[in-house]
Amino acid sequence: MSVADVTAVDEVVSNTPTGRTKAIGVIMAVIGVFTIWIFAFGSAASAHSQITFNPINLGTDAPWLVGTLTVASRWTNLVLGFLMVALGVEVFVRRPRRGVMARFGVVAILFFFALLVWIARSPGPAPVPYVNLTALLINASAVTMVLIFGSLSGVMCERSGVVNIAIEGQFIGGAFLGSMIASTTHGFLSFYYAAIVGAVVGGLIGLLLAFLAVRYRSDQIIVGVVLVTMLAGLASYFTSQVFTPFPQFNTGNLAPNVAIPLLDKIPVLGPVLFNETAFFYLAIILVGVVSFALFKTRYGLHVRAVGEHPRAASTVGISVERVRYINVVLGGAIAGIGGVALMATSGQFQPGYTNGYGYIALAAMIFGRWRPSGAVVASIIFGLSVPLAQLLGQYNVPVSIYILNMFPYLITIFVVAGLIGRVRAPAADGIPYKRE
Amino acid sequence: MTDTASTSPPVDAAGESKPGASRLWSWRPSGKSPVVVALLALLLGLAVGAVVIIVTTPAILDAWRSIFHSWGGILHALKVTFDNVGAAYRAIFTGAIVDPQALWHSITTGQGWDNTLTPISETLTYATPLLIASIGVGIAFQTGIFNIGANGQAVLGGIAGGVIGSMLHMPMVFHLPLTMIAGVVGGMVAGAVPGVLKAYTGAHEVITTIMFNYVIYSFLLFVVLSTPFQQPGQQNDVGRMMDSTAQLPPIFGVGSGLRVNYGIFVAAAVVLFAWWFLDRSSMGFDFRVTGANPSAARASGINAKRVIVFVFLISGGLSGLAGMVQVASTTHFIDGTFLIGNAGIGFTAITVALLGRNRPMGIVWSALLFAALGVGGRSMQAATGIPLDLATVIQSVIVLFVATPVLVKEIFRLRDTSASTLELATKGWNS
Repeated sequence: MSVADVTAVDEVVSNTPTGRTKAIGVIMAVIGVFTIWIFAFGSAASAHSQITFNPINLGTDAPWLVGTLTVASRWTNLVLGFLMVALGVEVFVRRPRRGVMARFGVVAILFFFALLVWIARSPGPAPVPYVNLTALLINASAVTMVLIFGSLSGVMCERSGVVNIAIEGQFIGGAFLGSMIASTTHGFLSFYYAAIVGAVVGGLIGLLLAFLAVRYRSDQIIVGVVLVTMLAGLASYFTSQVFTPFPQFNTGNLAPNVAIPLLDKIPVLGPVLFNETAFFYLAIILVGVVSFALFKTRYGLHVRAVGEHPRAASTVGISVERVRYINVVLGGAIAGIGGVALMATSGQFQPGYTNGYGYIALAAMIFGRWRPSGAVVASIIFGLSVPLAQLLGQYNVPVSIYILNMFPYLITIFVVAGLIGRVRAPAADGIPYKRE
Repeated sequence: MTDTASTSPPVDAAGESKPGASRLWSWRPSGKSPVVVALLALLLGLAVGAVVIIVTTPAILDAWRSIFHSWGGILHALKVTFDNVGAAYRAIFTGAIVDPQALWHSITTGQGWDNTLTPISETLTYATPLLIASIGVGIAFQTGIFNIGANGQAVLGGIAGGVIGSMLHMPMVFHLPLTMIAGVVGGMVAGAVPGVLKAYTGAHEVITTIMFNYVIYSFLLFVVLSTPFQQPGQQNDVGRMMDSTAQLPPIFGVGSGLRVNYGIFVAAAVVLFAWWFLDRSSMGFDFRVTGANPSAARASGINAKRVIVFVFLISGGLSGLAGMVQVASTTHFIDGTFLIGNAGIGFTAITVALLGRNRPMGIVWSALLFAALGVGGRSMQAATGIPLDLATVIQSVIVLFVATPVLVKEIFRLRDTSASTLELATKGWNS
């Protein structure tokens, strides 16, 4: 098997098996029926819902204000629900070979809108008769950004054949030291220093993982999980030894937003995409860079060859160990920056505030089929679910906030189990390589 | 996969370190013995812990900063270092096993045995649920399944035990067994979800079990704040107190103050069960074959889906029982922080199982060791102010080294570095 053959594996379109396609169709239809039943008939016939599009802090530079979208709650949701049912039936009956996921995505978006219309219905239990879509998306962008960093780190490591479960630990390390640096340095470059330190600490954790996984061929998943435990313990230890007695090291100041001229004036998209912290732009740039590096460069070819068939790669003169070391360290650095980004958007470091995002990022990477672009889509889905659960809590939904808080995790389980199922990871992923 | 010839059979690879032909002064212990590796890993773990203590204790850092001020500076700095680190580790030992002074006092005067035995009683109390959960994790590992969800399963078991133990009332003969069964069933439910998902959709258990942990933590808060279960008169996240008929009573009576309880007999029964199950039962054989070689298992007609579901039922059930024992033997009620964070025995159980190489007796010893570290860590925190999290760090370092035996052998220059048994418990996403 030559390197050229190895690359062909990526181009194979994964055909969804018939049974799963049918099941997905059924799920889509069920979501539609649920929408009609709860969201449409759960709203009074005369109820109206408003969706607003302007960021809460308008500032001075929002020249284009968008009006409020007012819709009749029941009829809108009825239409949306029937659309979902129709799409589900179409998938079930026709079983299209491609685009099942895209159709499911459309259903998810429709469901999202139906949910917003339902919670904002007036008369209804909500404290205010409107939902601010832009504010919701801004909140989602912070979580999404962190997940993008994490899943890119996963892509980097796993394409070279090393499973990096320690992303959560790299988040913790990055967030801890990032908070320390951002609190003690001042001025414009404060968060740049924090990012560099975060990258270094993430890279060092990656180096430790690579050292144990590549050189000593340990069980990568176990080493990763234990690394997370260790870093959580260390962070908690240092929090009580350093941050508690010296709160000046953990002031939790947030990274400033950097508005991109002109683009930030676009309604809805502008405040969400173009008035963000530098970390957000870095995440977007990294998606492009990692994609390009993995799929368009010679080095990326080597990486993928090592991840799929290390022996073949070794035969043609690629150093498997070297590629794995480099990728795991770079991947760790990306996750470390992700930890700083998390801290820069959510404030003071506390033990346990990574909330399992590192593991959700892994799920996002799997959902994205080990591709940066796919990982972005998955990160958006998960990133939306976190602020959405919080939002629902504010709108007096007849479900306990504690049940609502389960949703990001339940969605992850559902996506991993229901939509993806048995995945095809890089063939040598998680398997130590021993030179003959 | 590649080194087939050199792998020695891992079971009973003990071959205790013999001096052999080498002379006494050049005696080097054999690296083949997992016990030697584990003990050396413990040593390394304590060394790393010492480094962590040194860099965070202002007194030590001050002493080292002033080594150039006087001739005795270095000696003074070393003394301060050893005093502080020694005090911490002495507190771990006296807090977890026995305080020699108290022991001497009890022996000479015959008084105060309760006080003397408290540390070891605490360690046993802590070890009991930990051991049960670790056996569950170990059985899953032997089948090639990584159950990171043990903590969530223990929480759900604790919730189920707490509900049955506090909201039903009956004589102890029925109540205690029923409460235990409730714990087992709670853990089984929590384990069944990822198990069924893995068997029938192929969703990888590492993702689903971790996510399910978070789902169960939310559920815990929901339950302890819900009207039927919340302790009457409480506004906080505190559940109902279990009836005394559902609690695991202390062996030496309530008056002794020693918390060691009949739970250790439950744990002993679990260890026996695990030994019988893995070594004697046909289903246990199927489990081990699946873990050792999935394709051979498939070829010999073992139903992989059935094995996966049953592994999760057994592993989850034991974790749930552990959660129930935890509630029934210590606090007798659950609250919103039950098994969260430092107290997460389900996560410690993973490290215990790895240290014990997933075998029942190995797990017994490692559970006792990690329980001693956990309990001793508490008294270290009380005595010296060094946070309890140090115990977590030491435990993780130990397991990192145990998972990398070759590294330990290289550090200590043991013989037999070549015969590295490459035993992967997990097999990446494609399994």
